[in-house]
Amino acid sequence: MSAAFMNTPSTAPAAPLHQPSPGLWMLAWRRLKHDKVGMVSLAVVIIFLLMMVGSYTGLIAKNWSKEAGVSYANPSFMAGAENLEAVRTKADPNAIKIEPVDLSDIDPLAPRYKEWAERTAKIKTTETPRAETLPFGGDKWGRDVLQKAIKGAETSIFVGLFAALFAVFIGTTLGAISGYMGGKIGDLLEWFYNVFTSIPYILLILAFAAVFASSPQLAAYKGVPMVVAILAFTGWTGIYRLIRSEYIKHASREYVKAAQAIGASNSRRMFVHILPNVSHVCLVQLSQHVVQFIKAEVILSYLGLGVPVDSVSWGTMLAEAQSELVIGKWWQLAAAGISMAILVTAFSMLTDSLRDALDPKIK
Amino acid sequence: MGNMHRMILQKLNIAVMARVAIALFLATVLAQHVAVAAEKKVLKIAFRAAETGFDPQRIEDRYSVGICENFFDSLLTYDWLALPVKLVPQIVDKVPEGEEGGTRFTFHLKPGIFFADDPAFNGKRRELVAKDMEYAIKRFRDPVNRSPYSWLFEDKIVGFDEFVDAAKKNDKYDYDKPIEGIQVLDKYTISFKLRAPDYNFLYFFAMPIVVPVAREVIETYAADTMAHPVGTGPYILKEWVRRSKIVLERNPGYRGHVLNTQYANPDDPWDNDAVKALTGKRLPLIDRIEISPIEEEQPRFLAFMNREHDYIEETPFAFISQLLPLGKLAPAMLKRQVRVQRTEEPEITWDAFNMDDPIVGGYKPENVAFRRALILAHDRSQEVNIIRRGQASATMSPIPPGVVGYDPNFKAEDQEYNLPRAKALLDMFGYVDKDGDGWRDMPDGRPIILQFKYRANEQEGRQIAELWVKCMSAIGIRMTTVAVQFADLLKDRKVGKFQMSNLAWIADYPDGQNFLQLLYGPNTNISNDARFKLPEYDRLYSAALKLPDGPERSKLYREMNRLIVAYAPWRLGVNRTFSQFINPWVLGYKKHPILYTAFKYLDIDVPAQQASLEQ
Amino acid sequence: MGAYVLRRLWQMIPTLAGVMLLIFVLFNWVGGDPALVLAGKITNKDQIENIRKQLGVDQPAYVQLGYFAFEVATGFTCTWKSYTDKAEPPKLDAKTPGSAADSATKAKANSGCQAVRSWATNEEVPKILTTRITPTLTIMIPVLILETLLGVILAIGVAYARGTLTDRMIMMICTVAMSVSFLVYIIVAQYIFGFQLGWFPVQGWSDSFWKNITYYAPLPIALAVFVGLAPALRLYRSFFLDEINNEYVRTARAKGVPEKTVMMKHVLRNAMIPILTNIGIALPGIFVGSFLLETFFSIPGLGREILVAVNRSDFPVIKAATVYLAMVTMIINLLVDVLYKAVDPRVTFK
Repeated sequence: MSAAFMNTPSTAPAAPLHQPSPGLWMLAWRRLKHDKVGMVSLAVVIIFLLMMVGSYTGLIAKNWSKEAGVSYANPSFMAGAENLEAVRTKADPNAIKIEPVDLSDIDPLAPRYKEWAERTAKIKTTETPRAETLPFGGDKWGRDVLQKAIKGAETSIFVGLFAALFAVFIGTTLGAISGYMGGKIGDLLEWFYNVFTSIPYILLILAFAAVFASSPQLAAYKGVPMVVAILAFTGWTGIYRLIRSEYIKHASREYVKAAQAIGASNSRRMFVHILPNVSHVCLVQLSQHVVQFIKAEVILSYLGLGVPVDSVSWGTMLAEAQSELVIGKWWQLAAAGISMAILVTAFSMLTDSLRDALDPKIK
Repeated sequence: MGNMHRMILQKLNIAVMARVAIALFLATVLAQHVAVAAEKKVLKIAFRAAETGFDPQRIEDRYSVGICENFFDSLLTYDWLALPVKLVPQIVDKVPEGEEGGTRFTFHLKPGIFFADDPAFNGKRRELVAKDMEYAIKRFRDPVNRSPYSWLFEDKIVGFDEFVDAAKKNDKYDYDKPIEGIQVLDKYTISFKLRAPDYNFLYFFAMPIVVPVAREVIETYAADTMAHPVGTGPYILKEWVRRSKIVLERNPGYRGHVLNTQYANPDDPWDNDAVKALTGKRLPLIDRIEISPIEEEQPRFLAFMNREHDYIEETPFAFISQLLPLGKLAPAMLKRQVRVQRTEEPEITWDAFNMDDPIVGGYKPENVAFRRALILAHDRSQEVNIIRRGQASATMSPIPPGVVGYDPNFKAEDQEYNLPRAKALLDMFGYVDKDGDGWRDMPDGRPIILQFKYRANEQEGRQIAELWVKCMSAIGIRMTTVAVQFADLLKDRKVGKFQMSNLAWIADYPDGQNFLQLLYGPNTNISNDARFKLPEYDRLYSAALKLPDGPERSKLYREMNRLIVAYAPWRLGVNRTFSQFINPWVLGYKKHPILYTAFKYLDIDVPAQQASLEQ
Repeated sequence: MGAYVLRRLWQMIPTLAGVMLLIFVLFNWVGGDPALVLAGKITNKDQIENIRKQLGVDQPAYVQLGYFAFEVATGFTCTWKSYTDKAEPPKLDAKTPGSAADSATKAKANSGCQAVRSWATNEEVPKILTTRITPTLTIMIPVLILETLLGVILAIGVAYARGTLTDRMIMMICTVAMSVSFLVYIIVAQYIFGFQLGWFPVQGWSDSFWKNITYYAPLPIALAVFVGLAPALRLYRSFFLDEINNEYVRTARAKGVPEKTVMMKHVLRNAMIPILTNIGIALPGIFVGSFLLETFFSIPGLGREILVAVNRSDFPVIKAATVYLAMVTMIINLLVDVLYKAVDPRVTFK
């Protein structure tokens, strides 16, 4: 039986032990290059990542917050469509004119009324006319939803990616230790896991949000880093559970026993021998958690615990757009929904391809 | 192989189950169409928020209070049709006159009014007596009840505060001990003696929470009085699944009432409809009312659109242009003969500045100038048109329309958006960029970073915060926002742990004093969240309290309004206008400015309702 | 095995203690002050102090923790000596003859102990949990069954056809389906299927189980299954592929065992371990339900109840829901671990 295992590079105990990984990853890359879907997905993901960097550095979507159009400006391809929301915002000419109340006898500012008026006269404000249409329509303030979606991508990808990496790191480390070591440490980690998973997810999120938001030490990290932390600290449990069960399964397998026989240490068996065999689970989990966290951010935004009001994410866009569908303003929902779908799809496909490429047992 | 067998069996089961499910589904649908209970008048509606319960002395939210209107009779009430609102007797013989300079009010209950039957009465009919009112008033300050409205009777009735203090000291809240200022003169007469004149006192007795309750009911159900509302009103609580379903049914023992058409406005089509539908009938007419609290806007709206509900009140602003594009009923609604009634609520919204805050607070000219500049830079038209979708009007003074003391000719110019004036004011008082980071700083060089607190899980609060951030960055002022859970927000406001925050107030009774007290200095930590303390304002407030409604008091109200505009502890927000859409089979519908529910004054054209449901 | 189960049951005690401690710390120290939520619009210090006293939140933390432990264990709360002053049981005087109507309630009130109640609506917490769980399960049990069955069946099929165009297409559809937020699905589906097409009611719930399951529940169930199926399918497929590429499968094939038998006997059986793990993770969730579904479709379930409770700082409801759901979760986890052994004899319990 052990001879059969010798053929698999990732687990071969007889392979040159000092350099198993580079060979594995080189092989994987070669396989990936032949996978068309994988390469296209990779390209899409890279484009999104570039976009994220671009918008972060202000190269693109710099003026996303500029109110260039009228409220709910139509998309250019729907130029003629009726826009009731914008019509309403025009001043009502029939408004009754009422003389403003005179405050001069009680106003602390009264002595400087004259100076105030003079200074006011000197300040010129120019109001830029608002466009009736925008390339892909406008939001309620008249901002371009396309630029908003790009800016939103920056936040959402950042949140999804880093929260997932963080969660996978926590989940894998704890899962490996618990599944492999078992015993007292395993019990302790199981206790920890049970405590976390026994609490309904929504409560856990709200509780963490409450703890983080009211902690003075963390005040400096409010906003996006806090969302990342909330998601990671509440989202690692699923990964932990799967990795643990994988480790339980693998720990009793022959190749691990063989490794033990040749004197490999526990940590070496855990992270050098078993980990490559479960790395595809980690990757599937990473992909799923990026997806899951980008979506969880939507739910956090729905609950009002998402990113702060001066930034924008796909989540805040969707939360905003939830009432817009009924009144026929579908474009913000579409812009955020579609860009999210494209990235997430590409990301998942890429992960599938990576998984195929990395797992040498397939094909 | 066992697995495979199991799988096949499961597949078969699914097929069978699916067929059963379809058959059952069809059966249910058919049953619904056949079993049309033609005789019963059933009203189905939604509330936009969940209720808390129906012990009148323990509740505050308008949904629970609104439902209590139907279980209990207050001594006085508002005439259903009169506008402006008018106090009329409900279960007393007349509206009392203030005696002894506005410090004594005596009510005479009508004899022969009975509570709804309840096991607590041991099978006997229980007549309403003056003692029930005394008992209810005492309940307001019983610590066990932790009544949200205990403030109504604080520092008000002679001897009541002393009674409460004694109870605290003796560790016993003794309902049998008399209070000097609450005298039960005979079986049906109760008289109140006040510590100081208060002409608004009568309004308390039109609140659906200041209602007589039977002591034996409260004591029988002491553990859960919220679920056992037993009153003298037209409806009883039939079924209650808290926060999801409230069912009211006609109180079979109710004496009945008729619509008073004396104050109807012949030019008001709603009044005319109500008169036409209800005159000569013994009310109430609806047999059963099913209320579902639906907090999410889309389902509440779509349930009405799908005719699952008979009318929709306080229609979500987000969907208003579906039903009422540019203020006119949409063609689809016209075709369905849906009617719309629009009402301005007796409420205001505002953003408070914390007057004790080192940046936005203070009474010196430069402090006042800073707040005024922030207000001038805030584009309120966007709040009205975009956040409230045009379903609101800009507030000009803290007293909203429909409330005694409202002055339609009061216009505060410095609450209006004016960017040049805002910038000029900041420049003038030295709020300019000192450290070259592009943002304005304090005159002494301290950087300015404002913080706005709003309630998490509220889209509207977020949008108000968003608007502030936008407007502030337009004048070069940095602002951050913090979303906090409701409980935290309340706490922070109460103890002054905020810089700026948005708030709202709905009238408890229709007098401007209910709003002006929000800035009365001694009410700091009680209801004055802005912590505004201006001696001149406090003096005017105390003076106004002693006067009945009239030109003299109106003048004081106007002076107070002017001080608020000048010192700017608030940025005034909007008065919201709500739209009610009513299906054609609902007859006599009218939204009252103060009373919350209309069930007592409604009728349903059952055949029309059934016909529509079958569509 | 018996010893193992006993040991696990014994271990539940510290876990439960951990949950209680965590919840206690989070909500009693960090959460907002419930007294203010209950106090009303105009309040003074005395009144807030009174409420804090009645709720027991003015007590030292360890005392509160003690109350909490007692409440969890018994479902009852008692008027403790330190704050009995205002909560004296009512006395019925001769003039107002009390009744035997609700003697049970009265007896409880008189004994000084009564069921833990919601701070917001005063409803008995055990009653909240027992009544709200039914609608939640009405939705979630069909969801879990359909999702697992469809997931496993489709995953076997896809794994069988691995690498083909069908496989790729189905995976592609799954990925796309997974990429859209649940919130969007709910909003769009309610609008289209509930309102525009009128196939389902927009919202609602009744007292009749059959009416619920046949009339109100189908759309929420369909939505939840649709959303849950894609990730389940992906995951199960990966489990099957793992097994398919194992040596024993090759050996079986080499021996000439038919592919179908290989799939059903070897692959399915071995893939059941991770699948069971996954169900084990999902199972406790059915008791919580989906708060989004429940809020949008007006289903009076636990998820919605918890959300409302959180928004209103109704701590007794939140804490009770959390602790009791924690117990349910632990029992399910134990069952899953025991099932491991039944499915895979190689797994040994230390």
